[in-house]
Amino acid sequence: MVTESAHEFETQDLLLNVGPQHPSTHGVFRMVMQVDGEVVRDIIPYIGYLHRGAEKLCETMDYRQGIGFMDRTEYLAAMNAELSYVMAVEKLAELEVPDRAQWIRMILVELNRLASHLMFMGAFGIDVGVFGTPFIYAWREREAIIDLFEEISGDRMMYAYLRPGGLAWDVPTNFVARCREVLTAVNQGIADFDGLLTKNEIFVARTQGIGYISAADAIDFGMSGPSIRASGVPLDVRREEPYLKYNEIKWDVITETDGDVYARYLCRLGEMRESVKIVEQCLEQLQPGAIMPEKMPRMLRTPPGEVYIRTEAPRGEFGVYMVSKGGNRPYRLKVRSACLSNLQALKHMSVGQYVADAIIVLGSIDIVLSEVDR
Amino acid sequence: MTSEESTEATAPTATLDGTIWAEVDRALSGITATAERGVLDVIVHVPPAEIVRALKALKADATLNFDYLRSLTAVDNEDEGIDVVYHLYSTTAKHNLTVKATLPTDNLHIDTATTVWRAANWLERETAEMFGVRFTGHPDPRTLLMPEDMDDTFPLRKDHPLAEIEILQGEGMGYSDEEDQ
Repeated sequence: MVTESAHEFETQDLLLNVGPQHPSTHGVFRMVMQVDGEVVRDIIPYIGYLHRGAEKLCETMDYRQGIGFMDRTEYLAAMNAELSYVMAVEKLAELEVPDRAQWIRMILVELNRLASHLMFMGAFGIDVGVFGTPFIYAWREREAIIDLFEEISGDRMMYAYLRPGGLAWDVPTNFVARCREVLTAVNQGIADFDGLLTKNEIFVARTQGIGYISAADAIDFGMSGPSIRASGVPLDVRREEPYLKYNEIKWDVITETDGDVYARYLCRLGEMRESVKIVEQCLEQLQPGAIMPEKMPRMLRTPPGEVYIRTEAPRGEFGVYMVSKGGNRPYRLKVRSACLSNLQALKHMSVGQYVADAIIVLGSIDIVLSEVDR
Repeated sequence: MTSEESTEATAPTATLDGTIWAEVDRALSGITATAERGVLDVIVHVPPAEIVRALKALKADATLNFDYLRSLTAVDNEDEGIDVVYHLYSTTAKHNLTVKATLPTDNLHIDTATTVWRAANWLERETAEMFGVRFTGHPDPRTLLMPEDMDDTFPLRKDHPLAEIEILQGEGMGYSDEEDQ
């Protein structure tokens, strides 16, 4: 019992452990929050629960076997992850990808971006407390995209469909018609989300002004993707260093200026509309043709060299740094995880907020732990 | 650059026309840097002792303005030492640069880049635990992905076995040029 009056009203900060098994952490992520009442004073994140040594494993496997590990690294946007990897191999091996394969790749990565952002919309709704409706709506539309991917690649999540040089096999004959069907469904989904969340008073009250990060801080932390574009930095690899055919079609980089959780939500919503626009234009450009280069070596070897390939994945810049010393496997493979860099800024964004808001800030980064931990 | 070094650098510089090497060279005055042309970006080799000075100069330079650290990692070249690799980007001038510092195997110390970009914090922690590179002055030198007590084995080094089966087999399944020939 405290007897001295000087200590009578003394308060003590509480250490609160969240995770690693907790629905709000979107995977196996743990953070220790130092809380003063309801206010977060400090956050210590702990990652690595899902570390599988994917980089080391890829160094022991030949170039085509590594594709499977990329799927598992970024399982919500596996096509985007595969794309960085195969582009790195192509750059080192100096392979020219046929036009048809490039257009199909672009359709697939944009559809995957839609699927990933839909996943965000659903899960984020739950974080904010709108349980049920958005999640089920998101699942409905995501299912349409995943069904399409299954028809193409044979798998719902781990596609392993892109190959160095092109694609594993051509898309089904009804591909264009099916894509248009999916786009119709997704357009409806986007409209539904817009109606359900964007002007929802509770949603806006919970997200506006929460988890602010300035443009300068976001750049310094190495953030990327919608998380940095919401702070007013128009950083998008698709625009700044166009790959595939992004410079041949019309689309906009979506930026918001508020830098808060609501801005990150709006950014993703706007990006979904842009992705639909991109896919529609790609479908018009799609012509019959080859999907692999004519002279493809049976055993793929690369000359010595190194390359850092970056592409714009749904969560930000997915980079693959590949070093070759000749032979049929990478000497060193490093995956630059967008989430890892975004997650670094979590403490900066959450300190001073309420505990419940810190959860929303975490949700707004849209982390995939298998990409963070690799 | 002094006169001897510039003669050394003549051969690679000849192929660096049209790249940002000229500006980088100017920004790195007083630092012995050499450059080569990579597949996409220019690769600049900087002595490890001067790495932070070089990175700060690259960031502070008004035309280069490398304000964004894309990636920081290392490559184990076995006997040739460990390369610490920085991938830089400028969000205003929109150009890329790869900076490399080669550490000899018997002295794996390099100054921390956290004073230049906060983004380097976790990336350096990961590089430290995976390769055994010691980042002098790092504000938070704990392990990142590995367990706290795993601070003396370095999984991404080439001499580290992939799995127990490799030890049992007596030879690595690791990278070898002769395999699959």
